[in-house]
Amino acid sequence: MNPKEEKVKIITEEFIENDEDTGVGRQKKTSKVARQKRKKRLPTAGPEEMVSESPHLGHQQEPVQEDSDTRSLSMTSRRGPRSLPPIPSASRTGFAEFSMRERMREKLQAARSKAESTLLQEIPTPRPRRLRSPREKELETEFGTEPGEEVQRTQQEDDSQSYSRVKFRDSVRKIKSKPPVPPGFPSAEEAYNFFTFNFDPEPEESEEKPKAKNRDGTNQEEEEGEEEEPPVQGEHKTVFNTTMDEEELLSAKDDEDFLLGLDHRAEDFVAVRPADYESVHVRLQMEKELLFIPSRLTVPTYKKLPENVQPRFLEDEGLYIGARPEVPRACQNIMENRLLTQEPGRKWFGDDGRILALPNPTKGFPSRPPILTREQDIKAELETLYKKAVKYVHRSQHMIGSGDPPGNFQLDIDISGLIFTHHPCFSREHVLAAKLAQLYDQYLARHQRNKAKFLTDKLQALRNAVQTGLNPAKPHKSLDTTQKAINEYKSEIRQTRKLRDAEQEKDRTLLKTIIKVWKEMKSLREFQRFTNTPLKLVLRKEKVDQKADEEAFEAEIQAEISELLEEHMEEYDQKMEGYRAAYQQWKAWKKAQRAKKKKKKQAVEEHPDGEVEEPYPGEEPVKPVPPEPTDRALVEQQVRERAARSRRRPGEPTLVPELSLAGSISPNEQCPRAEVLRREDVKRRSIYLKVIFNDKEVSRTESRPLGADFRVHFGQIFNLQIFNWPESLTLQVYETVGHSGTTLLAEVFLPVPETTVVTGRAPIEEVEFSSNQHVTLDHEGVGSGVPFSFEADGSNQLILMTSGKVSNSVSWAIGENGIPLIPPLSEQNIGFRSALKRADAISSIGTSGLMDLKKLAKWAAESKLDPNDPNNAPLMQLISVATSGESYVPEFFRLEQLQQEFNFVSDEELNRSKRFRLLCLRSQEVPEFRNYKQIPAYDREIMEKVFQDYEKRLRDRNVIETKDHIDTHRAIVAKYLQQVRESVINRFLIAKHHFLLSDLIVEEEVPNISILGLSLFKLAEQKRPLRPRRKGRKKVTAQTLSDGDIKVLVNVIRAYDIPVRKPTASKFQQPARSSRTFSEKRAASPTTHSPTHSADYPLGQVLVRPFVEVSFQRTICHTTTAEGPNPSWNEELELPFRAPNGDYSTASLQSVKDDVFINIFDEVLYDVLEDDRERGRGIHTRIERHWLGSVKIPFSTIYFQAKIDGTFKIDIPPVLLGYSKERSLILERGFDAARSLSAGSYITLFITIEPQLVPGESVREKFDSQEDEKLLQATEKFQTECALKFPHRQCLTTVTDISGKTVFVTRYLKPLSPPQELLDARPNDPQATAELVARYVSLIPFLPDTVSFAGICDLWSTSDQFLDLLAGDEEEHAVLLCNYFLSLGKKAWLMMGSAIPEGPTAYVLTREQSHYLIWNPCTGHFYGQFDTFCPLKSVGCLIGPDNIWFNTQRYDSPLRINFDVTKPKLWKSFFSRSLPYPGLSSVQPEELIYQCTDKAAAAELQDRIEKILKEKIMDWRPRHLTRWNRYCTSALRHFLPVLERSRGEDVEDDHRAELLKQLGDYRFSGFPLHMPYSELKPLIEAVYSTGVHNIDVPNVEFALAVYIHPYPKNVLSVWIYVASLIRNR
Amino acid sequence: APPAGPSVFLLMVNGQVESAQFPEYDELYCKYCFVYGQDWAPTAGLEEGISQITCKSQDVRQALVWNFPIDVTFKSTNPYGWPQIVLSVYGPDVFGNDVVRGYGAVHVPFSPGRHKRTIPMFVPESTSKLQRLTSWFMGRRPEYTDPKVVAQGEGREGKPPGFRPCPPPILGFSSLLPSGLALVHFQINRRRRTFWHACP
Repeated sequence: MNPKEEKVKIITEEFIENDEDTGVGRQKKTSKVARQKRKKRLPTAGPEEMVSESPHLGHQQEPVQEDSDTRSLSMTSRRGPRSLPPIPSASRTGFAEFSMRERMREKLQAARSKAESTLLQEIPTPRPRRLRSPREKELETEFGTEPGEEVQRTQQEDDSQSYSRVKFRDSVRKIKSKPPVPPGFPSAEEAYNFFTFNFDPEPEESEEKPKAKNRDGTNQEEEEGEEEEPPVQGEHKTVFNTTMDEEELLSAKDDEDFLLGLDHRAEDFVAVRPADYESVHVRLQMEKELLFIPSRLTVPTYKKLPENVQPRFLEDEGLYIGARPEVPRACQNIMENRLLTQEPGRKWFGDDGRILALPNPTKGFPSRPPILTREQDIKAELETLYKKAVKYVHRSQHMIGSGDPPGNFQLDIDISGLIFTHHPCFSREHVLAAKLAQLYDQYLARHQRNKAKFLTDKLQALRNAVQTGLNPAKPHKSLDTTQKAINEYKSEIRQTRKLRDAEQEKDRTLLKTIIKVWKEMKSLREFQRFTNTPLKLVLRKEKVDQKADEEAFEAEIQAEISELLEEHMEEYDQKMEGYRAAYQQWKAWKKAQRAKKKKKKQAVEEHPDGEVEEPYPGEEPVKPVPPEPTDRALVEQQVRERAARSRRRPGEPTLVPELSLAGSISPNEQCPRAEVLRREDVKRRSIYLKVIFNDKEVSRTESRPLGADFRVHFGQIFNLQIFNWPESLTLQVYETVGHSGTTLLAEVFLPVPETTVVTGRAPIEEVEFSSNQHVTLDHEGVGSGVPFSFEADGSNQLILMTSGKVSNSVSWAIGENGIPLIPPLSEQNIGFRSALKRADAISSIGTSGLMDLKKLAKWAAESKLDPNDPNNAPLMQLISVATSGESYVPEFFRLEQLQQEFNFVSDEELNRSKRFRLLCLRSQEVPEFRNYKQIPAYDREIMEKVFQDYEKRLRDRNVIETKDHIDTHRAIVAKYLQQVRESVINRFLIAKHHFLLSDLIVEEEVPNISILGLSLFKLAEQKRPLRPRRKGRKKVTAQTLSDGDIKVLVNVIRAYDIPVRKPTASKFQQPARSSRTFSEKRAASPTTHSPTHSADYPLGQVLVRPFVEVSFQRTICHTTTAEGPNPSWNEELELPFRAPNGDYSTASLQSVKDDVFINIFDEVLYDVLEDDRERGRGIHTRIERHWLGSVKIPFSTIYFQAKIDGTFKIDIPPVLLGYSKERSLILERGFDAARSLSAGSYITLFITIEPQLVPGESVREKFDSQEDEKLLQATEKFQTECALKFPHRQCLTTVTDISGKTVFVTRYLKPLSPPQELLDARPNDPQATAELVARYVSLIPFLPDTVSFAGICDLWSTSDQFLDLLAGDEEEHAVLLCNYFLSLGKKAWLMMGSAIPEGPTAYVLTREQSHYLIWNPCTGHFYGQFDTFCPLKSVGCLIGPDNIWFNTQRYDSPLRINFDVTKPKLWKSFFSRSLPYPGLSSVQPEELIYQCTDKAAAAELQDRIEKILKEKIMDWRPRHLTRWNRYCTSALRHFLPVLERSRGEDVEDDHRAELLKQLGDYRFSGFPLHMPYSELKPLIEAVYSTGVHNIDVPNVEFALAVYIHPYPKNVLSVWIYVASLIRNR
Repeated sequence: APPAGPSVFLLMVNGQVESAQFPEYDELYCKYCFVYGQDWAPTAGLEEGISQITCKSQDVRQALVWNFPIDVTFKSTNPYGWPQIVLSVYGPDVFGNDVVRGYGAVHVPFSPGRHKRTIPMFVPESTSKLQRLTSWFMGRRPEYTDPKVVAQGEGREGKPPGFRPCPPPILGFSSLLPSGLALVHFQINRRRRTFWHACP
């Protein structure tokens, strides 16, 4: 059943009962008790009650108990047969059923007895608790425990029974668990008794009976409405049943109820009988007795009212009646009917016959609960405080007083109005009126100030002062000072007078202008016959006393005249003085002249033919003119004239103009059409203002129409609540014409008020504005910015611009408590200054905000400030200081004034600090200090030597030092390289600190299908495949490493074709021609060998016992010794790696220049037994090792390749004395015909680094380029297309040049001629020439970019740069070689691919007549296309001078591809028909200029190298004496040039013969080494790695010869012949 | 006498990674390590440690208590590069994969005495929704290559969009999601150690 519904029901019931209770007027308490009882019963199932009753009721209850039991479990609501108490005649009951029942009975009995016993124990006296229990129960039910649950729980049901629920449940459980015991069947009588035994009713039950019945009735009522819920009904019914007698239950009234609450196990023991049926009529009859169904019909009014009373409607009588709550009519009717039936008292009904009702309490609108202010009992801490939301200040730079809480500041802007002084709609009259008004304003202002009067008074005072000064009334004053004062006064009088005259003149002209304008206006009004403005000027004449005035005037003039005269006199005196002096001079000169003349005359007389002229004709002084004395009349005349001009004439009345607006304006009817139009236009216009605060509009005024007088009154006050310091305050004047758009007329900038200006005290100010708009109107309006004229003929044009005045006031508001809402001054600009203003003036001298002090002082002196005025006190103090010169006034502006205060040491001291310097250098990542750890805390602990290296480097930066480099050219190059390197490093230092997301965060890629498929495929993979592959290892980021963590693993697997010993016996024998020379290189035209194996070797003698020694960073490891020319070692050697300076960063690892040397030695055992007799008693053998060859692999290659796996050609010296290449038997059997083609020995190696290091990423910086944007886009496209198809093939379109610019790669290829010397060597053999050229290129030292430039950036230098630098990596070599080949007329391409051991590299491909040759530019070797030992393993693209071809063939191994680039299916070309080659100019130079190398310098270098190497060898043998065989040395020295000439080929045999001839007595082991020359260090390393010095035979001698062959452009080929000699006994 | 070595000061850090609050996760363990500047060197104690796995407490606090001790001593010549403790918290996800639940770092307190530090923990977020899904599914959430990254500023600034020819990188930004709080107690001791040069 649905518990919820039941609950609802309970509640409704309760309500009804309530009504009932109140209606009946029962005592509240009793009703409550009753209700409780009922409520309690509701959820419980009837049968359960019986269970609880069982102790009292005895065994008869048992089946019901069982019923309850099952019921409680299943909660079935199914209607079905139910075990009814059997009717006395049990004949119909079948035996089976009976037996079943019997069984059940047995079972129940057993269970009951058990339950009884437990219950009895627990509830000894249930009755006394009876009264208390209901309350408890009520609580439980009221808390809404689910009825279903309650059923299960089985609580007590009868009022009299109360016991622990839990206990009962237990008991029930016990009953349940009891399996049914099948005993003997009870008799029918027993069964009947069991069901029908009539118990004495309990006393309280009888008491409650009527009530129950009553309730039953109400329930019935409900039933009607809820017929669809039979289970619920059943529940109720059962409730009632429990309170009734068994007889009553059987009384058929409620028997159907028994059918409810069916039990699923009922058929087990229930006797099936036809149901008792009562006819509907009977039932209805019975129900009628009990039930009352209120009718839904409307109750006639008379029923509701007392008899003979007419309904009275208060509304009609005009009384107010609130709206009644809305109740459906039907409900109302039911209620009325019910009330009428229940209580005939009619007190429920009002006068109008309706149920009494209060007005509808529902409010039509939601309202908050009122805030209870009077509540005193709320604890203070619980009280909610209201706080205003704090506004977030987002513009922090304008935040006011960072520390202070941003307050609430307010700026009041009062805009009272606007007056146009000119407007396009002005008529001419308006123009004049405006002018007049302006003039009048001016007049008023002047009048108010009345400067003329002031000056006149001052003049008067001064005159008096002079008068008194002249009077000797004050004898105590010294004459000097008086005189001085008088003079000063006099000069002041003069100035004052001038000023006064000017002022007076101005006054007068102003007055005149006013009158003139007024007259113009009047004439205009007359002319146009209407009036536009109410302006009216009245001139008021003020009569003056004629006589007094005249007198004053005359006195004034007289005074002036006298003063002027005096002045003139003074002037005259001065002039006279000057004249006299000049005159005296002149006179003296004249005299002298005369004397001269006299002399001359005499001279002339003596020498008549002498010069007659004056000797100095030009220098004759003019005779001075005496100054004219001043004429009084003249002065008087001047004064009078001036007075007439500027002053009111004596007796003339004073004119006072008064402007009034008393005039009348002509009405429209009297005006011409144009004027009417104008007036209408004015009416259509309206004006509003926008208030812009800090460039943001904050508010705007209302739009007001423009008055006919061109005044707009706003009278609005805007209160701006601000929190940003006001920076600008602007009003924008907008004009709207009719309904068309608004135009911005002008902007008015208002000053931000001083902090002292607060509302109420701020004066209304007028701020002028003007606009530059041009308006032409088609009516009387004069327009704006357009010329117009007052004259009829159009002359005298005027241009007026729209202008006006805004009267406004801006002030700070005053808060509630009288505090002005002014923000503290903004700290950024004003704050500091104002703080200084308050502080001592002197302390702030020189800081910002104060002006030039000298000027200030000057001004103060000139303006004659009153020093006693307290207002001037700080200024005077400042001035006194400034003028006394005590303070130093800086003439510069200081940015951080307080920096000095915070300096705890002076800058010099700071710079002197070693610690500070060290810290600075470290943070700059200067290489020497980058990894400096634990910088000492004290200066004294820092050794001076720390800086030595660094300072030396700095010093040497510009000094070219030849010590290390021997050769000056190399030194220059090294320096240059160093500089390029530094600049590149600086560029990349920034890039290094850029991180990508993937650098920081490991994130799984979104898997795609292929990865998923692969991983699925992996599942099916064999766990132990037959051919295991090397698995990828985890990569380690470099920074976490330290010394000893990294190891270089070298797996030496096997070697092929190692040279074998030649028998020593063949000392003087001619070498067999059958043996191959090592230097056989010609692969393209393989010579056919006819190996007739000589039988010189004794059978079984070991041909060679080679072992491999790997040396790296001077650590040496070697394998065991194997035997034979094709040894197999399969050994792993482990060499520790140390990074330079312990810096394991990627940049540092990249620049490791060390090489891994893999040397192959032959272990030779010599019997050193002196005495044959001792043989057999001991073994005395000496082990000698003979160097056979080496493989050199740079560490950087290993680092970038991560692993190197392959077969390498062993670099075997061209002459290896005592060894020859032996053609093995296996070879002869044709085992590997292909291999035999390329001579040489090979070794298979696997080299890697443990743990695997992450090689540095290439720099992500994009370089700028001068290439065409289109071309760059094309390259992008090309590359992405290629990468999409073949992601592993190298595709190169653009490269970075040495200046860091992106350059298209084909620009590097251009025919460039090789040195002429090389061309001349073998002019008839193009192949030989090509080889020679390749050799020349290979002689240029190899230096990878990664070594020279930290960070991977593949910089391509042009060929001339390359030749200048004499160092470069594969690309440079390849480019140069390709360019040479192109100039030789070959078809040549740059071939980008990967090779071992270099990895991605550049080779050169040439096409000969029928085949292709692949050239390794770094070694000078070349290979046929089908050479299996070609180190180039894959080809990515070919680059020609005008195109790029990308390999789109299936394979990329050169063996399997077709090099025919004309086939577009095989080679995808960059430039095609769609994108034709634009003819890119080359970046290469026009031609290469080769300087011949200085032979003498080369020879010198050769000697020095020899010397150094000799010293080194001696150093390496510290415990032995090193003897040099000079004879041998000279022999070797002669031999080396021969080697150079033949490039190490075909000389061995002759050489051997010669050597043997010369050194017959010695056992000789040695070999020439050939290297390009770059530095000394590689040479030393190479010599060291051969291990020649390791021989410690006592009588060993050494020979060492060096030969340097100079090639053009300082390319040097170095040969070192190193040998050890042991004298044969 | 010449100084036997640079004078250093010692910083002894004791304490414990006490507990953490990760409302969404349970059964977490934490790993701590220190990040310090070039002038610093640990002299004693453990620089790194991995704690036991702990479960949430059953009370309302829902705290994950490790009480995992820290005891390390540094020496240094320079306060620059003051050590920071970096915590990284890991725990199983729905599928039982060990994934990171939070990173956090805080400077070791400067002043001697007892200190309590609450470290906000965060994890980097997947760059796209799809990746979030797949990472959740595969149990491979985005992680820092090195937890020490959180103690450094380098490389964590926003990236400008890519340069002209290449399209702007899709994976450029990764935001951080706050995941919880960790509470660390420190007890700091400092001592200056000066060698020989006290005597003139």
